[in-house]
Amino acid sequence: MSRIIIHIDMNSYFASVEQQANPFLRGKPIGITGKHQERSVIATASIEAKKLGVKTAMSTWEAKRICPSMILYPGDPEKYSYITCQFNSIFNEYTDCVEQFSIDECFLDVSKTATDYLEAIVLAQIIRERIKETCGEQITCSIGIAPNKLMAKLCSEQVKPNGITTVNQQNILKFLDTCKLKDLCGIGTKIENRLNALGINTFEQLRKFSLEKLVNEFKSYGYWLYEAAHGRDDSPVINTYEEPKSIGHSYTLSENTDNKKEMKYCLLGLSDRVAGRLRKECLVARCVHVVVRYADFNEMTQQQKFTEPTSNGLTLFKIAWQMIDQWLDESKPVRLLGISATTLSRGNEHQSLFKKERKVHSLQKTLDEIQNRYGSNAWTRASLIDVHFKERSSGFHSPNSPSTM
Amino acid sequence: MHEFLNDQIDVIASFCQNRVIPKRIRWNERDYDISNVNLVHTAREGQKRIFYFSVSDNTNYFKLKLDPEYLEWHLVELYN
Ligand SMILES: [Mg+2]
Repeated sequence: MSRIIIHIDMNSYFASVEQQANPFLRGKPIGITGKHQERSVIATASIEAKKLGVKTAMSTWEAKRICPSMILYPGDPEKYSYITCQFNSIFNEYTDCVEQFSIDECFLDVSKTATDYLEAIVLAQIIRERIKETCGEQITCSIGIAPNKLMAKLCSEQVKPNGITTVNQQNILKFLDTCKLKDLCGIGTKIENRLNALGINTFEQLRKFSLEKLVNEFKSYGYWLYEAAHGRDDSPVINTYEEPKSIGHSYTLSENTDNKKEMKYCLLGLSDRVAGRLRKECLVARCVHVVVRYADFNEMTQQQKFTEPTSNGLTLFKIAWQMIDQWLDESKPVRLLGISATTLSRGNEHQSLFKKERKVHSLQKTLDEIQNRYGSNAWTRASLIDVHFKERSSGFHSPNSPSTM
Repeated sequence: MHEFLNDQIDVIASFCQNRVIPKRIRWNERDYDISNVNLVHTAREGQKRIFYFSVSDNTNYFKLKLDPEYLEWHLVELYN
């Protein structure tokens, strides 16, 4: 049976939410940044800033050079999570098959709600109006309607802001041939370059290319590319909550530092936060990944696996610091530190054989309860009493932060 | 200018249809009449739910914070 899939993508999301909240930002080029503006990147540029050439993930420094009149505005993740929950609950009124693809993008399988494309278009218009009524005039979205997720996403890219674009089974190939290879979600610059090297510059050429040679070059991705070139994608809209693959935090220091003690405190604070989130989600980790970004933007990363799964902040910290201590280039000041816990599984930490560790474990439970009740600042380690993380950031550095609702 | 602060303020608000609408605030010994409530959102602080009101008059944007447990209002952001 053929499906009808809707993809909804909010336009310049974080910037639009801020323009909704603060009317003095409306109609102006603004860029949503992290906590330290001059050391941050543009998480979202407003529609006005994009028109002037500012792009997402540009450094604030470069964005200001291109667009000196641009207003830099610190992001407010709590606000965005709340609005995301609001429009997700609107979507759920129209179909029980909603997949949140990112904080500002969703797929809806409306095959049961809409019997044909005309009905799907009407539904899209209703949803668009509902978002405006509930969240505010400034918060707009682009909508794509197609027989599968891949084509629906490609459709929603076509008209920004506020567009509704449809493509049905009959005109998929014609539509694809008006698009560039890189427009497709799944073809990045690297893949595009490799395709170009094979003499493939258009979807038409990709369709005509031999499947065997594609698989030779790209392994199993070759099949995907071949199917995609025909506008085919049978991946379902998954509405179940997916377990996180990793939980991580990183932090740009307020000033670059070569002071190891300061780095250790920062890392311990981050480790505690990661561990707290692991415990909240009843997860344990068997791998730690660290990142150190130097002032010259060179980055070092490393990961280490271990056998005893943990959700303890101090344990995570010790493993992380041991790695960093081995290769840290002490001649170079450090700008950012990050830690993530990966290879996650459901469960609690094993009870230790040692009395002292068992004590720590039961204390941890109580400390978690205190934080759940009174918020994450309710207690801190004595060693971290002088470490204050600036909370207000774009959320850019914590892609899997849980919704605040 | 964009300022982050945490000043306790007095608020006159109306309650209608399950909604709270701030009408006037008193901050720094001055009254400000709210002309628009642009966005309302909530966030968790531990088990508590905190309400935030993004409001404006003709020249200022204010972000107000309401703690429903203590019925305390704070001005947390100012932009003008
Ligand atoms: Mg978007």
